[in-house]
Formats: sequence, structure tokens, C-alpha cells
Amino acid sequence: MRSSPKNKLSHDAIKAWRVSLSIFISFLVLGLFFLWGYKLLSPEAGFFSTWTLIAISVILIVITGLGIFFIPEIRWRRWFYEVDEHEVDLQSGIFIITRTLVPIKRVQHVDTRQGPILRSYNLADVTISTAATTHRIPALNEEVADQVRDQISKFARLAEEDV
Amino acid sequence: MFELQRQHPAAALANAFDIIRANFITILILVFVGSGGREANFTLYWIIGAFLFLLIWGVISWYRFEFSVEEGELRIEQGVFVRKKLYLTSDRIQVIDISAGVVQRLFGLVAVEVKTAGSSSKEAKISAITRVKAEKLKTLLRKKTEKTEESQEAEPIAQRKVYALDTRDLLIAASTSGRFGVALSVVGVAFSQVEQLISEEQIIHFVEKVIPQSTNATMIAMSIFAVIAIAWLFSFAGTIIKYYDFVVEVREDELLISRGLFERTQLTIPFNRIQAVQIKEELLRQPLGYASLVIESAGYGESEGNSTTLFPLLAKPQIYTFVDEVIPDYNTEISEKNDVPSVALRRYLFRMLWISLPVILVVWSTIPYGVYSWFLLIPALLLGYQQYRDAEIARGEDTLILAFRLLSKTTAMVKKYRMQSCQVQQNPFQKRLSLANLTVHVASGNQGRAFTVRDIDISKAMDYRAWLANGKGGGSYISHEDNSEPANETFDDQDANQ
Repeated sequence: MRSSPKNKLSHDAIKAWRVSLSIFISFLVLGLFFLWGYKLLSPEAGFFSTWTLIAISVILIVITGLGIFFIPEIRWRRWFYEVDEHEVDLQSGIFIITRTLVPIKRVQHVDTRQGPILRSYNLADVTISTAATTHRIPALNEEVADQVRDQISKFARLAEEDV
Repeated sequence: MFELQRQHPAAALANAFDIIRANFITILILVFVGSGGREANFTLYWIIGAFLFLLIWGVISWYRFEFSVEEGELRIEQGVFVRKKLYLTSDRIQVIDISAGVVQRLFGLVAVEVKTAGSSSKEAKISAITRVKAEKLKTLLRKKTEKTEESQEAEPIAQRKVYALDTRDLLIAASTSGRFGVALSVVGVAFSQVEQLISEEQIIHFVEKVIPQSTNATMIAMSIFAVIAIAWLFSFAGTIIKYYDFVVEVREDELLISRGLFERTQLTIPFNRIQAVQIKEELLRQPLGYASLVIESAGYGESEGNSTTLFPLLAKPQIYTFVDEVIPDYNTEISEKNDVPSVALRRYLFRMLWISLPVILVVWSTIPYGVYSWFLLIPALLLGYQQYRDAEIARGEDTLILAFRLLSKTTAMVKKYRMQSCQVQQNPFQKRLSLANLTVHVASGNQGRAFTVRDIDISKAMDYRAWLANGKGGGSYISHEDNSEPANETFDDQDANQ
């Protein structure tokens, strides 16, 4: 698509996404260990056959590899945003590229959010809500996030509201 | 002014029925599925017990519910265990609905529902008061909002246009109801439960005795036919009950819709709350040349997926006169119209193929005579072709028009300044053909509603998006920046601070 919005997310986003994905995957791995343990201790009683378990393990390894080493990088590279006095313009997506436009007039509230992982990298999400939808600019630098939030709310106050 | 008071005691009964009605499907399933194998008496005790419990609950919640109007505010205190106080200022109130259900009618009462943007409507429902009180409450709460709006248009109520659905149209609407599909699935589930009620021997006996020449195939055909017939009857009755005596009254600054056979519902929709208008040409109605009108309004109720039927049945030539007379804002001249490019046809066809293939394969492999399910491909592909033909995007002065079809053809009209957000989406396959989907979100009820046209030309999509971005509110607050350039490319922060 032509002329992407010009701002990028913080480069630390990649690390933060890797960490949060690793945590999620480690739960899956834990579950898998239980299944394997169960299988090895009582071979005939297991819920899955050995081959199913092997297949699940392989799939999990592939997903882990893709998810941790490639996807955060690509996701970061494909994420752009831009805020001006008329609109918020977002572009994201790895396979399906989504270009979102939110007129500033329609913004009902903006906030920044920060979980423990994002905080450890000094990152924050900016969430933009309208009467119909909610949009998120993920993993910006804390200062940038605050700035974006204040900017949007300033522009939104300037533009008159009727809904 | 209203002092602090309770509702009419009938509210206890109404509350109990409300709970039953809200969970009707669950209860039905529990009774159907749960009773299998156990004694009928047991189930009966359960039902009576549950009903008594609900009644007691209704009485307690009636006792704990008090409301008053003070300082232009509707104040409600309610809650059995957790005490909730709800204060609604009159200028925040958007819709006041007065309706009368079966229970209310029995006692000659009405229910009043007050709706604001955002708050869940259930909380501000007074389930039983006298009509006199309800009207008084309405005028008390309406007064303030009207005052602010009357300053702009101090015209007295000059002409009141009223549109009613006549009996013939009601019957047509009922027999071609779009709720047919829903009814079909419900009846289908119920039918599958028949097995539990009647033993197999009885069925075989019945079959041998009544239809001796029947083969397996005719059996299947007959049961399918029976399910369809019953479902059709249900949807027929449902539509009649819902749209009986349907009347739309056009007032100075709001629409008043009243409808219903057993339960009269009255809806008030101020014009300035209307977010989008849809013309729906349902599958069964389209060949007869009929369509229905649906409006999306902000902060209004939860029924029917947050949209309201403005008129259940209109012959196609009538639609535009109706729109012109009832919601003239939406009768715009189209200045540009774009079809889906012909390269997109294959995407429309393939999409239907991917959707129908799994169904066909499953049916083929599980059901006797399942081979015939391959014939499903014909209507599926025809539907895909029709979807391709119907998809269209157009714009007038400040109105965006999106036409698309899933089963029924929908033509959505959205004011530029009502759009909440807009998305252009492109997947790798679309990229090769330089196509994209355009989605527009409007506010409707507590969430929003999205309208999507698939596979339009990417440059057109971006063009429309830029045009939408330039929306300056249809002239209501034109500011200094009368810019005709596409906004997504030019503006940056320096320009913003001029």
C-alpha cells in the first residue's frame, strides 16, 4: 500500500514481545511435559498416542521458533502509525495488512497501558477508543506513548464532538 | 416532581417473567435435554420450585427498587444484596421507551426503559407503573433535552407523518421473514430430541403403518420438509407477533416506532442519534421486489444486535420516497459509483468454494445419500457470483454507500461525519490482484457495527479512505482548513499548529 504512516514502534518492542510470547509458550511446554510424563509412566492409559504427542511437540517447536525468532521482528517492521490534527493513521499486519483510520473527532478517550513486561522495557501501549471501536498502538517508548496520548487528547479536544 | 417511590407491585411478577424470558432458550434446553430418562414428576417439581424462587426474588427486588425524579434527574435505587444507585441526568438520556408486556397489560400498566449511551439499559428499567405516571415521567425527563434543541428550531409541530404497515404487507413480511434460518436451527435441535420422547419401535411402527411404500430417501426428504415447514410456521408467527400494527410516526426531531401484538413496544429515536441506514434485501424478499429498512442508532438498546427496524417491508420503488420523507438526510445524489473489478470475481467464487467444501465433505462422508450434497456447489457458486455482482461502493456529497451481500443484499448508507473508524485490509492474494477490503465502523448501541465491501480496487479503497478522512462534519463545523488534498499523505505535525 502506498505511503505508509511515518512513525515506527520502539525497537524494544521486539524484545518485549519475545518475552511475553516465551512466557505463554512455556505454559504450553509445561502442559506438554505433563502429557509426556503421563505417557511414559502408564503407556497404555494415555489420552494421546505416542505419534500424536510427537506431532504436537514438533508443531510446538516450529511455532516457538517462528514466534520467538521471526514474527516479532516482522511484526515490528510492518507496524507504522501517525497522528495529526485530523486523524490517527495505523498500518499493521504480517500477512493481512490493515490500514486503519480514526478521525480525531471521533476519539472518545485515549489511555496508555503498561503490563509488567512492557514496564521492564520502559514501554507502554496507547489505546484509542471511539464509540464503536478500540485501537491499540502497541509498545511505544514510555515518553513517546505519553506524548502521543496527550497529543491525541489535545487534538480531540480541539475538534468539536457531537457523538 | 416524583417523590421516592416503589413500582406497582405487579413489577414482582414482571421481573420473574423477565428472567424466564431472558433465559428461555437455556430453560428449553435444560427441560428437553435434562429430562431425558428421569421421571416426569421430578422435572415438574423442579419447574415449580424454580418458579416459586423467581417469584420470591421478584417480590424482594420489587421491594428494594425505588425511583424518583429530582432536579431533572432520574434516580433509581435498587439491588437486593448490593445496593446500586443510578442517577441519570435528563440531558444524558437519549431514548425513553414505553412498552407493555403481557404482565403489564394484565394490570393495565406499562414499563419504562431509559437508555443512555454506554450504560447498560437493563439497569434503568422501571418494569411496572401506571401509564399516567409513565407519561408524566417522560415529559419530566424529556423537557430539558427538548429545551436545548428547541432553541435551534422553534417551529411548532407542523405536520406529523405517520406510516403504517398494512395487513397485506405484514403477511408478506411474515411469510418471507429472514428469521427463518434461526427458526430452522431451533426446530432442527428440537427435532433431534424427538428421538428421546418417542421410542424407535414406535417410529418404525408408524412408518410401516402409515407410509408402507416409503423408502429411506422419501423418509429423509419428508423429514427435511417437515422441519422446514415447522420452522417457517414459527418464523411466520414470530414476525406477526413482532411487527403487528407497525407504525412509524415522524416527529419534528425524532421518530416514534410502535409495534407488537402481545407486547406493544414503543421506541423513540431522535434523528441526531441515527448513525447509519441499511436497506436489506432479504433472500426471500428480493425476488418479490421487497426490502426492509434498518437504522443503527447510538446508545440504543440491545435488541436485534443494536439495530432497529425502521420499516419491515417496502416495495423497492417505494424505498426512496420513504427515505426521502422519513429520513431526508439519507436521500443523497450519488456522485461516484464503483463496482468491484472483474479480477475479483475469482476471489468471490473461490471464497464460496472454500466455505462449502468442508460442509459437502462432511455430509458426503457421514450421511446416506450424502453424495447429493455436491449439488450444494451450484447454489454456493451462484451466491458467490451474485455477491460479486452486488458489491459496490458509492459516494454522494457527504454520504458513503456500501453495498454487499452475505445471503441478503445490504446497502448501508453512512454519513461521512458519523464514521468512527475506517479500515483498508489487504492479504497477499489480494495484493497480487491489487484488491483490498474496505470496512467502515459506525457507533451502534454499546458496541459498534462494521460494514465491509470485499475486493475493491486498492487505489479506489485508499481514495475513499482519504475522502472519509477529510470529513469536516458535513458543514456543521467547517473550520479554516478547507483542504482538498488527501489527508494521509500531506499533513504532519508542523502543519497542525498553524
